[in-house]
Amino acid sequence: MNPLIQMSPEVCVVLGGCLVCLIGVARRSSARAVTSSVALVTLVVAMALTAWYGRPGDAIQPAGLLITQLSMYVRWITLIVGVLIVLVNAGTPADEERGEFFGMILFSIAGVMLTGCANDLVVLFLAVELVSVPTYILVGLSRTDARASEAAVKYFFLGALAAAIMVYGFSFLYGAAGTTVLRGASGGSLSEHVASAGRLTDFATIGLLLAFAGLSFKIAAVPFHAYAPDVYEGAASSVTGLLGFLPKLAGFAAMIHLLTAIGWQLPTSLLWLLWGVAAATMTVGNVLALLQTNVKRMLAYSSIAHSGYMLIGLLVGPALGAGPMHDGVAALLFYVAVYGTMNLGAFAALGSLTVRDEPAETLDDLAGLSRRAPWTALALTVCAFSLMGFPPTAGFLGKVYVFSSAFSLSPWHPFRTAMVVLVVIAVINSAIGAAYYLRIAAACYLRDADGQSRVSGDFMLRVGLGICGAAMVVLFVIPKPLVDRARYAAAAAHPRRDAHVSVVELPPS
Amino acid sequence: MDAHRIQYWVLLVLLAPPAASILAAALGPRFLRGQTHWLPILGVGAALVGSVNLFNQVRAAGEAHGSIVVELYRWIATVPDQWFSVNVLVDPLTAIMLLVVTGVALLVVVYSREYMSDHGHPVRGYERFFAYLALFVFSMCVLVLGGNFLLLYLGWEAVGLCSYLLIGFYYDRPSAAAAAKKAFLVNRIGDFGFGLAILLIYVTFQELDYQAVFAMVDAGTTASGEALTSGRVTAIALLLFCGAAGKSAQFPLYVWLPDAMEGPSPVSALIHAATMVTAGVYMVVRCGAIFAASPLAMALVATIGAFTALLAATIALVQFDMKRILAYSTISQLGYMFLGVGMYAGSAAIFHLFTHAFFKALLFLAAGSVMHAMGGVIDLRRFGGLRRVMPWTYATMLIGALSLAGIPLLSGFWSKDAIIHAAFENSRLLGWIGLLTALLTAFYTFRMVFLAFHGTTRVPDGVHAHEAGAWIKLPLVVLAVGSIFAGYADVTFLSGGFAGAFDPHGWFSHFLSSVTAPFAMHHAEFAAAGHMQKYGLLYMSSAVAIGGVILAYSLYVDSPMLGLIIRRAFPKTHQLLSNKYYVDEAYESWIVQPLRRLAAFCYAFDRYVIDGLVWLLTAVPRLAALVLRVFEQGRLQGYGTSMTIGLAAILFLILVIGG
Repeated sequence: MNPLIQMSPEVCVVLGGCLVCLIGVARRSSARAVTSSVALVTLVVAMALTAWYGRPGDAIQPAGLLITQLSMYVRWITLIVGVLIVLVNAGTPADEERGEFFGMILFSIAGVMLTGCANDLVVLFLAVELVSVPTYILVGLSRTDARASEAAVKYFFLGALAAAIMVYGFSFLYGAAGTTVLRGASGGSLSEHVASAGRLTDFATIGLLLAFAGLSFKIAAVPFHAYAPDVYEGAASSVTGLLGFLPKLAGFAAMIHLLTAIGWQLPTSLLWLLWGVAAATMTVGNVLALLQTNVKRMLAYSSIAHSGYMLIGLLVGPALGAGPMHDGVAALLFYVAVYGTMNLGAFAALGSLTVRDEPAETLDDLAGLSRRAPWTALALTVCAFSLMGFPPTAGFLGKVYVFSSAFSLSPWHPFRTAMVVLVVIAVINSAIGAAYYLRIAAACYLRDADGQSRVSGDFMLRVGLGICGAAMVVLFVIPKPLVDRARYAAAAAHPRRDAHVSVVELPPS
Repeated sequence: MDAHRIQYWVLLVLLAPPAASILAAALGPRFLRGQTHWLPILGVGAALVGSVNLFNQVRAAGEAHGSIVVELYRWIATVPDQWFSVNVLVDPLTAIMLLVVTGVALLVVVYSREYMSDHGHPVRGYERFFAYLALFVFSMCVLVLGGNFLLLYLGWEAVGLCSYLLIGFYYDRPSAAAAAKKAFLVNRIGDFGFGLAILLIYVTFQELDYQAVFAMVDAGTTASGEALTSGRVTAIALLLFCGAAGKSAQFPLYVWLPDAMEGPSPVSALIHAATMVTAGVYMVVRCGAIFAASPLAMALVATIGAFTALLAATIALVQFDMKRILAYSTISQLGYMFLGVGMYAGSAAIFHLFTHAFFKALLFLAAGSVMHAMGGVIDLRRFGGLRRVMPWTYATMLIGALSLAGIPLLSGFWSKDAIIHAAFENSRLLGWIGLLTALLTAFYTFRMVFLAFHGTTRVPDGVHAHEAGAWIKLPLVVLAVGSIFAGYADVTFLSGGFAGAFDPHGWFSHFLSSVTAPFAMHHAEFAAAGHMQKYGLLYMSSAVAIGGVILAYSLYVDSPMLGLIIRRAFPKTHQLLSNKYYVDEAYESWIVQPLRRLAAFCYAFDRYVIDGLVWLLTAVPRLAALVLRVFEQGRLQGYGTSMTIGLAAILFLILVIGG
């Protein structure tokens, strides 16, 4: 069988996206209305294909693909959260734009899945941009509002700049290794180059640095975070929910790929740099979020802060066979899945509320929500507590895993002290974060019912919101299924696994 | 025992009540309304069925094999592949606790159907009440089923939360809101100690599973293989007891329980008499290995228990609020239980817990029935002579009171006697305190009964006194039957004369023997009690109980003037007792007020110093923003510039400085 059959989930999602776009130009409104359902069916079929064909195994050359447990993890959580994203956004776009809207969501999802499978700088670049470009369009489509257009334009130009920086870095890496292949035995690869050189050459260091700078834009890390508040505020709430997940997951997956290729042998200067970026990201995000009264802006800054927490996991790196309390990558992968869901839930709750036909945005709009809409208020509060990292929610476990992974470094590890300091900074930041997340809960439950917001979301949105809220509690009670998959995925990123990568050549076409 | 079958029944016990709770919360307000009670009746009923089946399995397996740990699933890993599991421990103690919890809960739910209605109409918050009640049953089941300290803690905190919610059920009443807060805060003090105990256990043993921890305690080693010092064990035991004293309302943390009577009467019966407040006793018996390893902790448990029993009984002598009398009585009886545990009689303590659940729940429910009939009035001075108006309530309450007073051949007699017996064997002083308390118990119980039900019939103005309906009567009758016969679970009938007709240690203590083995191990001579001493004490405690009832009769029915004369003769004592030894006032002025002043200081500090600092800190970025805005022509370009400058700075750092 053609080894490309393993890529059938991605192919399915892309084909589904094309189909949705075609349906979107139908003349009848009732036909256009089914686009969201078609998108859902596409994702479900892709899940089935993932279950049947997607097994981790070989590197497929010259397609530049490598399907590992990491790819499988990225696929599964993207598809599952993707379903939630489609549910939450079912009523977002204007009637005439439904086709493009859900098409773009599917393309972006396909991009994330492809990022998980990429084993070649070119494929990686294409995949990451396949994630980003549709999101620029989604921001613009989400509202018929000058602010949305402004946000889309900003997002596009800055994204283009970031992409340029990233691909510039990739060119350096190519120059250093002489190949664009990341891992794999035959015909040379970046991992072989690093292994034979024994260390990262200066040339490769610059490449890696630039690539990380470009990817930092995707995860909204300092100093490439500035766009996030404006863009998040400009887009409709339910679209903002996906902005916090798809680019972030793709960015982290790409970073893990690059670091795996160089065997997690970061030069000390780069480690310190990432350390500083992590500390600055969480601090800037949290402190600025504290000053906001607009909930969307607040959550945008919190999104920056969460990237800072996740960078801790990246700095710790994978540990073969250990649990997420000792394995930074497993903790990071668990965290990003949980973050995507709780962030989506918070924005979905916000998106389901309107104030005099305008979207609800400020804390004042939420005042006394528990009396007007008890279930929405409950779901929003659960998500806020989860973002805060408060038991009994999955956000608590996420923070426990990420923070404790840094403590698991052996006492003679040169970076142990630095990592402990970073965790202390992160814990202080969590406390700062609690202040503004609690403001959301307090507005819903403690303030007088003088807010003006009403629930106007459709049924699908409320289903999605309910699943997000329930998932946070369920994942706290039963985290093991997700944790185990994150562990397997992290094992795939372990450099010692590199020896096991075997290559399948594609048949000549 | 078959682990699979056990697992199914455990899942039924653990899942049915929360399902009922969630459904009641989700469907109650919109669809079910006045019919919401069916959900918890079904859910708790299913849990009772599961409990009965678990009990049967444990009993069938016999004492030696009646203990099994079933891992439901793994929760999180600490070090690679060492997991905190969600596992349950099913053994005789768990089986009995589950029967008590689900059995009493079912009766209370049935009773609430009528009690929570006003002339047939559900009161406001009817659905909320049943949702909370089912949630409580779930929490309590987690507490007694949990196979490790983590689940114990989870259940412990969850029952505290449910208690808080239900005490404050009438939250628009300021006294109820204050009582709920008080219960929560006082329990926090105890729970803080409990939390520290669990941390210390983890630090010491690197384990939280009961069996692993107790095995290490028995072996006298820590996780690292070093010898376990007696100081460490004592510290753990005392911290655990701190939690138990909070939850089970022992001195000095008992002050929340009398106030907790602000909650609806069924709640008082279920949570604050039969189940939650006994969690502390359960925990101490469960951790018998730890406590028995520390003679100091055992002595303290016994002393605090005896002291609390006496203290609460004296306060109960002069109260006029029926539910408060019963609350102090509960504190006193819990003191008995701790006295029993501290005297190495774990099975006697659990036995008293078991019988107490029947007669105290009965008394509370009967008092609730009186309160329901009196239109919410519970003050003994405002009604009396209800014997003819409420014959069912009177009859059942009389049975409960006889049992509580320790009148021979009723259930309370057997269990209380077992504890006093154990006390006499270890410490004569504590034994006499136990006997004295028994006298006081009989007196205050019958003072209450005589004041409420005897004499001429008086009811508050505008109240049409009436007997309760079937939903209230049924639980009363069931509990009354239990109050008479439950005590025979631990009585062995022998042949021979009256003195030899029964042996006070029977099936119940044998059933529990595997659980209470640590106590027996450390105190082997307990089993070899002298024959004459055994029966002598039986007769003595019978005489004391009957004497107390007669005393109450002569003071409150026969010659009420005598009571007044005594009260006049000792005005100071009476005032001291009716003001509850001024303990609440002492706490107020020594603890609450200083803390309030500290809080006021912290608030001022936060308001002026911290906020000022934060303002100053945020002024820096704001100033920076002002400066930057000058350079920023358009915002998009500004962001681009900042990205590029940031990148340049990073490259400079790495290549020039770092390189």
